Amino acid sequence: MTDHRIILLCVIPLAAGLISIALINRKALSRLVGILSYTLMLGLSLSLLLKITAAPDSESILVSQMGGWTAPFGISIVFDSLSGLLICAAAAVGLGAYVHSFSVISPVTERRYYHPLMQFLMFGVNLSFLTGDLFNLFVAFEIMLMASYALLTIGGSKAQLSQAYKYILLNVLASTIFLMAAGMVYGMFGTLNIADLARIVAEHEAANKELPAGFKSLAVMFLLVFGLKGAFFPLWFWLPDTYYTVPISIAGLFGGLLTKVGVYTVARLFPLIFASDGTSTILADGTMLGGTSPIIQTILIVAAAFTMFLAVLGAVSQHHVRRILSVHVISQVGYMVFGIAVMTGNALAGCAFYMIQHMVVKCALFLCCGVMEKHAGTDDLDKLGGLLKRDWFLGVLFFIAAMSLVGLPPLSGFFGKMVIIREGFFEGMWYLGVIGLVTGAITLLSMLKIWSYGYWNPDQAPTTNKPEAVKASCKPAYAAITLLVVCALFLGLGAEAVYKVANRAGEQLDNPKHYITAVLGDDAYAKVDELIDERIAQEPAGPASADGESLTLVNPEEEATP
Amino acid sequence: MTMVLAICVAVTFAVSIYLMLGRELKGVAMGVFLLSHAANLSILAMSGSPMMTHAQQEAEVAAENGSHAHIVDSPLMKDPPILASQYANEQPLATMVDPLPQALILTAIVISFGVMAFLLTLLVVTNRKTQTIEVADLAEEARKA
Repeated sequence: MTDHRIILLCVIPLAAGLISIALINRKALSRLVGILSYTLMLGLSLSLLLKITAAPDSESILVSQMGGWTAPFGISIVFDSLSGLLICAAAAVGLGAYVHSFSVISPVTERRYYHPLMQFLMFGVNLSFLTGDLFNLFVAFEIMLMASYALLTIGGSKAQLSQAYKYILLNVLASTIFLMAAGMVYGMFGTLNIADLARIVAEHEAANKELPAGFKSLAVMFLLVFGLKGAFFPLWFWLPDTYYTVPISIAGLFGGLLTKVGVYTVARLFPLIFASDGTSTILADGTMLGGTSPIIQTILIVAAAFTMFLAVLGAVSQHHVRRILSVHVISQVGYMVFGIAVMTGNALAGCAFYMIQHMVVKCALFLCCGVMEKHAGTDDLDKLGGLLKRDWFLGVLFFIAAMSLVGLPPLSGFFGKMVIIREGFFEGMWYLGVIGLVTGAITLLSMLKIWSYGYWNPDQAPTTNKPEAVKASCKPAYAAITLLVVCALFLGLGAEAVYKVANRAGEQLDNPKHYITAVLGDDAYAKVDELIDERIAQEPAGPASADGESLTLVNPEEEATP
Repeated sequence: MTMVLAICVAVTFAVSIYLMLGRELKGVAMGVFLLSHAANLSILAMSGSPMMTHAQQEAEVAAENGSHAHIVDSPLMKDPPILASQYANEQPLATMVDPLPQALILTAIVISFGVMAFLLTLLVVTNRKTQTIEVADLAEEARKA
């Protein structure tokens, strides 16, 4: 369904960024513009998400064709349940990190175009979530990355400058590969529109026709690019060092948003397009079940297993709060890749849920770490202590966020992990499920490490900061953390409502028909339907129907209640 | 023609990777710059007349037979959207190079310009702060921090 309001989600941060360039010397005004922009984005994305959740299936994807060029000739902007969930979470996380920065960032840094950069980062992130065009996705990535390079080196300390090159050069390399792969997609299929690509792949699948040679190597190239952005095993090594040197609010924003953009693109492109092997099974009720290329699935499974397990071991071995949290970002990405690797509608729904809860929770933890540093002057666990006595409120916020990350019921992490791991067992990937459970236990260990060293330890940190003075100077930070923790609590206690949206996101990713017809029009899928009818006429659906039963989507209600 | 382009891409890649493996960040930055050229050349190789599109092949076959080109709408072969338009069976367009990759390359050049400008500025700032742009010295600096 056409709805041109969705492009406002990109226009708002762009406009706010440009305005705050003009207001660079007016601190209060540029802060106001920033807050206004994040709040508007949050409100608009929430209202659009509620609208498509209430709408019937045929109207559940909002599309806007840029410049009035019909797809696939122009650039399509698409707002479906997955994009909607992620944009809502991104706006909330952005608002939290932005407000938090008022109490930790230095005035000098703030004058170095901090406010516009935060808006341009959001512009890039929102555009990557919304775009329906592969090349436009490349452009969106570049906008996001440019802003992140500048935020990474903002202030220009020696440590930041010497660490920045790793991140920048790796990302430039990845972007180049992305560009080449996009060019190859065009050479192979003559289109860059994601829906059009999905249509071509679905037609191949319906006809059981082999995809062009080199399709798999293209898929691997894309996986390399997005894996690097999303910090999958073994492409994660840049992450902990990078997040260690930046101001803590920016680390929170990066930890919440940037890796998730990489995961999102894998979730968007692989089930729809690149994981296909050009075969399909027709179920008894006439739906087509696309085959999954075993090589791609194996790569995803291996990446998920090693990312989850090795990263959590890395986190346990660290002794600085920031490093523990940074390495945990990677470990949690593993669960999302697990969800994508299983590749059923339910698992993808779990992956979508896990992504948004992780964005919120991880950012909250980083922001807590910022206040801890304010209290003690360090994030070294050996020197921290007695924080619960100094500041019980921060302790409560940290504990809720940490336990959400670990996944204790009824907090949000539990519902994400439960669905993903259960689907893993259903689909015969029990080894991934076991690794997921063990990883959860080790996550608990490392979170308790921060808790017992930092908060419960009765020895006060040797610091001259008065608790009252810190509390007074950190008011925006407390507001920001409270906002994110309330969001996390809502995701946990209101998981049933959120899963209604997430299940639809999973269904839309699993069955390309919704996305294709929404972007290209109803006729676009007719060819596939014809081919399926031909297939049914030729071969009566036999044993496939028995399989089909277990693969249909479960009701959202059953899903959400443990 | 495809062969010439492929060799160009390969050589550019080789040189840029050689530069990127250097010890000084100035060379690495040049390597990055060359790498984007290699990517642009490879996109050029993806399109253009050497790799004939479906419509062009049809047109050529039809021209040899002396009749007007007739495009069969094959379900599984996708022509570049702009060429596959209703005018594609007229000769001038059918022999035209696909314009879209050129637009992609243009965009990519602009973006890589921006990245390059940022990278070079960062190098100048780093050199002022740390008095060095050697990779090993920067790693030492990072270890201290």
